[in-house]
Amino acid sequence: MSVLETQGFKLDNSGKRVVVDPVCRIEGHLRVEVNIDSNNVIRNAVSTGTMWRGLEVILKGRDPRDAWAFTERICGVCTGTHALTSVRAVEDALGIQIPDNANIIRNLMQLALQIHDHLVHFYHLHALDWVDVVSALKADPKRTSELAQSISAWPLSSPGYFRDVQNRLRKFVESGQLGPFMNGYWGNPAYKLPPEANLMAVTHYLEALDFQKEIVKIHTIFGGKNPHPNWLVGGVPCAINMEGAGAVGAINMERLNLVSSIIDRCIEFIDMVYVPDLQAIASFYKSWTYGGGLSSQCVMSYGDIPDKANDYSASNLLLPRGAIIGGDLSKIHEVDLRDPEQVQEHVAHSWYKYPDESKGLHPWDGVTEPNFELGKDTKGTKTRIENIDEGGKYSWIKAPRWRGHAMEVGPLARYIIGYAQNNAEFKEPVDKLLHDLGLPLTAIFSTLGRTAARGLEASWAAHKSRYFFDKLMANLKAGDLNTANIEKWDPSTWPKEAKGVGFTEAPRGALGHWIRIKDTRIDNYQAVVPTTWNGGPRDSKGQIGAFEASLMDTPVAKADEPLEILRTLHSFDPCMACSTH
Amino acid sequence: MTETFYEVLRRQGITRRSFMKFCSLTATSLGLGSAFVPKIAHALETKPRTPVIWLHGLECTCCSESFIRSAHPLTKDVVLSMLSLDYDDTLMAAAGHQAEAIIEEVKKKYKGNYIVAVEGNPPLNEDGMYCIHGGRPFVEVLKETCADAKAIISWGACASYGCVQAAKPNPTRATPVHKVITDKPIVRVPGCPPIAEVMTGVVTYMLTFDRIPELDRQGRPKMFYGQRIHDKCYRRPHFDAGQFVENWDDDAARKGYCLYKMGCKGPTTYNACSSMRWNGGVSWPVQSGHGCIGCSEEGFWDKGSFYDRVTDIKQFGVESNADKVGGTAAGVVGAAVAAHAAVTALARARARPGEDQNSGEK
Amino acid sequence: MLSQQDMLEAERHGRQVRSIYVYEAPVRLWHWINALAVVVLAVSGYFIGKPLPTMPGEASDNFLMGYIRFAHFAAAYIFAVGLLGRVYWAFVGNHHARQIFRLPITNAHWWSEVFFELRWYLFLEKQPKKYVGHNPMAQLMMFFFFTILAVGMLCTGFALYSEGLGLGSWADTLFGWVLPLLGGSMQVHSLHRLGMWIMMSFVVVHVYAAIREDIMSRQSLISTMISGWRMFKD
Ligand code: HEM
Ligand code: HEM
Ligand code: NFV
Ligand code: SF4
Ligand code: SF4
Ligand code: F3S
Ligand SMILES: [Mg+2]
Repeated sequence: MSVLETQGFKLDNSGKRVVVDPVCRIEGHLRVEVNIDSNNVIRNAVSTGTMWRGLEVILKGRDPRDAWAFTERICGVCTGTHALTSVRAVEDALGIQIPDNANIIRNLMQLALQIHDHLVHFYHLHALDWVDVVSALKADPKRTSELAQSISAWPLSSPGYFRDVQNRLRKFVESGQLGPFMNGYWGNPAYKLPPEANLMAVTHYLEALDFQKEIVKIHTIFGGKNPHPNWLVGGVPCAINMEGAGAVGAINMERLNLVSSIIDRCIEFIDMVYVPDLQAIASFYKSWTYGGGLSSQCVMSYGDIPDKANDYSASNLLLPRGAIIGGDLSKIHEVDLRDPEQVQEHVAHSWYKYPDESKGLHPWDGVTEPNFELGKDTKGTKTRIENIDEGGKYSWIKAPRWRGHAMEVGPLARYIIGYAQNNAEFKEPVDKLLHDLGLPLTAIFSTLGRTAARGLEASWAAHKSRYFFDKLMANLKAGDLNTANIEKWDPSTWPKEAKGVGFTEAPRGALGHWIRIKDTRIDNYQAVVPTTWNGGPRDSKGQIGAFEASLMDTPVAKADEPLEILRTLHSFDPCMACSTH
Repeated sequence: MTETFYEVLRRQGITRRSFMKFCSLTATSLGLGSAFVPKIAHALETKPRTPVIWLHGLECTCCSESFIRSAHPLTKDVVLSMLSLDYDDTLMAAAGHQAEAIIEEVKKKYKGNYIVAVEGNPPLNEDGMYCIHGGRPFVEVLKETCADAKAIISWGACASYGCVQAAKPNPTRATPVHKVITDKPIVRVPGCPPIAEVMTGVVTYMLTFDRIPELDRQGRPKMFYGQRIHDKCYRRPHFDAGQFVENWDDDAARKGYCLYKMGCKGPTTYNACSSMRWNGGVSWPVQSGHGCIGCSEEGFWDKGSFYDRVTDIKQFGVESNADKVGGTAAGVVGAAVAAHAAVTALARARARPGEDQNSGEK
Repeated sequence: MLSQQDMLEAERHGRQVRSIYVYEAPVRLWHWINALAVVVLAVSGYFIGKPLPTMPGEASDNFLMGYIRFAHFAAAYIFAVGLLGRVYWAFVGNHHARQIFRLPITNAHWWSEVFFELRWYLFLEKQPKKYVGHNPMAQLMMFFFFTILAVGMLCTGFALYSEGLGLGSWADTLFGWVLPLLGGSMQVHSLHRLGMWIMMSFVVVHVYAAIREDIMSRQSLISTMISGWRMFKD
């Protein structure tokens, strides 16, 4: 067996090969294989995206104004962010300026997505990696109540309340039909929470499940539905009418009041439930420092949430923009999505075909041609894969690189860059959290760091929503009701050829769509997605991606129970439908 | 010890009396005599929650996302008390072989008595390896799991029709569930995604009445898909009056006129949006100013732009719409007729001086 | 066989009598009612798909789309009932009444007549032939571009109509199956609209041919459709 060195990791594929497929509690289809040495430590990690739909192929030849709807269906979890990225790409290509109100409404929708996605991720996709549901049955409701009240003023915290939840849970468990909790890793020594904390977390799992459906009503108001609200090239489809006849069918005072009250409730829930829970859980897992992966080396963020409309320069973006390489926090590199040398996608180990697979391609020149072939050392057959061969092609995800580096993207990357930029909005909450937990800065380069950054960001997004809501009201007071620019709606006004790029910071990280338009139709469309960055396979130089790096050198308590693997993978909130599209 | 269906109903605030009434109604609707009422009651009082296996093929998970938005019943009540969601990749605690073992267990233990809910669809190209599950083609897992099921729910446009990945040229040959599973009752619940309460409504109907709902020609529950968006649209008076939004954000848009000219597919789309609305009744696409894109209709991705009513007809291979094809045809025919008339006139004029047309050989 | 018989009939009568009774009254009546209905259908249909500019005022004071759609549906019923009546007459009327419903496609002579007419229209024949009923070429056109198309418009039209009447309505029971068959409601709209254009193309050619033949072919046409009598000019 061989040992390969890359990015400071030693990939050793001797030892026991453990396969996790399907990886659950994520979006889509992911397979992971790791090699575990005799001490149960992960020495090699292989992440395989196991689905592909061909959206980039399907988009060819279509009307660019329709593209948002197609790309929105890349993912229903980060619903809307692809649509926003898409309309931005088309607007960039055609030189369309959107009204300020449209920019604000788009930001409100994007922020609502961040809040929703992070909350659902924490409680419903990630919590069970830290929380032992069955142990919650052993909790004393009174002490649970004390614990809850000691960390937050959230009113739902009486002993009786926790007892009710516990009773319901008991009945459920005793019914013998465990539903989604069936075959979980309950009792695994990697679970560290006391029963009371477990009961509190389970209770909030249910509360968050009720609450999440309220957050998305911001999408419903402006976009008509959620998941998959509607968007528009040139602005937003919802018209505003504050006082005229027919205002009941438009964005009016009642609608705005509803948005405002949802924002208040989001701020409340996140600051009084989510963040305190996060901190409480973290305090029990402080010593579990694994999963940092690439985060201490290479991270990147495109930035998002333009303060003023139509200005996508770093200084106007409220989420940080930049790249850090080699762990040098003192130097933030500029990211230029138009530069053919910067963002490139490789397919040496991906199930696609390039004319020359030793090189990457910039997305404007990107090619998406499926090519399913397994490496020669694959164990099993084409339709019965037992062990994948990472020496060959092994994933439906492409491998994006920034100036040749594998990068981690996502909330943690954004916070690291914001921190390194000395941006108080990002630095202060990190310092406070670390201080409260008694941890050094290096602790954020970890699984838990990723999970924490997401919680902090949810809070940031909730408060920023308030800022943008107030801004919208100021515009309306000033008499500006515009929501769409239709100057270039008609394709006959377009140039014969155009190309553009749109970007956002999706919940899982930096997202870009590159479009080429020819004769009013899409000539090429390429999406490079957060989970493509994080979950991608090796590149032509053998460099590993963020998922693979993060699993390296992690000890697992029980080799046949992949709890630690799930925990670290989940900290990225993998979205496979996004990653492969 | 088991929380039974009866207990669940009781906890939902349903009295013993109405429970018995429900049992007798069920007996009647199943064509059973009143002697069966206590039997049904007994069955419901002791029956375990119906296991549901929720599979994911090629999809975007937004049907799951929609499902958890349900306000009545609350998703937590559905999951904790009404059914037993034993397998769902998106929510379940277990992974890998511990997850796969559940499917086997449910199949054995509840043979013929579990429901399979499918989100997404199986691709058939590349031997099915565009969607891999446990190292195998998803389509195999789907077939095996459905083999012993009582009924199947096809969630969303993906499972029902193919949806976006089946849009032309459908590179993976993504195929709707009923084309792969042909020997089981299938309820199609289209929409991209379907409305949350439509989803929970279908499920609870099936659990309550222990049968699949009445379906229309396309296998959709009539109760939610029996009418078009347009039939119940609150902007319909503007349509009938001939009052349309002519441009985004124009005066008519601010007044909430009909979105027909902006391409609204409400007149050709069967769904419950215009009456049930979305996310607890907050709004729905037309109310928020964008036309319906027809997301619950078969192949809605390939019916031309979302912003035209007179849209492309792809059968012609080229992208063209009825007015372009037909108008061109009519134009060509008109021109040909004119030319023909001209030639005729010319021929006649030339013929006249010489011999009279009518003095032929006859 | 019919058209051959027709031709003989014409040739024979051509020398002896100057006119024959071809189109019985119900056919003539139907023809003009149908022509009117089709024009109303096409015009109203066009504006259903591409409505007129927005009406000012309150919605409750206007009903333009409603009236246009009413005109369409009213004409549609007339069109449908007329066609049914015409089918009935094909059974009870004279043999000319059957022409637009039945093509003698196995009759080689008939085909040669079709090609003769084609040559005539292409100015390759000097002398036209005389026919009591339709000339074979016209018959072919009528069959495909009117009869078949009319049935198609009827099926798609009533399928669309059934959507308004609702599931379980008579129209749904009779025509509802058309919707899934043709790929859904939107597709049926598009095809129905395309049908309108094809029908219009037919009408243009048909009217032109009628006038032209009236002038050129030594027999009456337009007045035949009015009086029923085919007059032979020589
Ligand atoms: C020669 C015969 C006909 C012509 C030329 C014609 C033409 C049209 C056209 C152009 C449209 C607009 C399609 C669109 O753009 O969506 C239309 C719509 C329609 N037609 Fe017809 N049509 C004919 C016969 C019929 C018949 C027999 C019916 C039966 C009731 C019918 C019922 C309808 C209906 C229900 C609509 C849709 C109306 C709406 O969406 O509001 N049509 N027709
Ligand atoms: C929408 C308009 C029209 C339609 C759909 C239509 C349709 C038809 C059909 C189906 C026939 C065959 C009748 C039968 O054999 O039962 C026919 C015959 C005829 N139509 Fe029309 N027609 C239209 C308008 C007109 C107009 C405007 C004229 C006169 C200018 C006209 C002149 C004739 C004549 C002369 C015949 C008899 C042809 C012959 O004798 O072979 N039609 N038409
Ligand atoms: N990766 C990814 Fe997404 C996100 N966030 C999008 O761009 O999840 Ni479905
Ligand atoms: S039907 Fe639409 S919403 Fe549902 S999974 Fe498929 S793409 Fe997503
Ligand atoms: S907005 Fe759409 S659904 Fe509503 S009346 Fe107009 S066309 Fe119909
Ligand atoms: S787009 Fe879909 S959500 Fe409803 S209004 Fe139309 S069916
Ligand atoms: Mg891509």
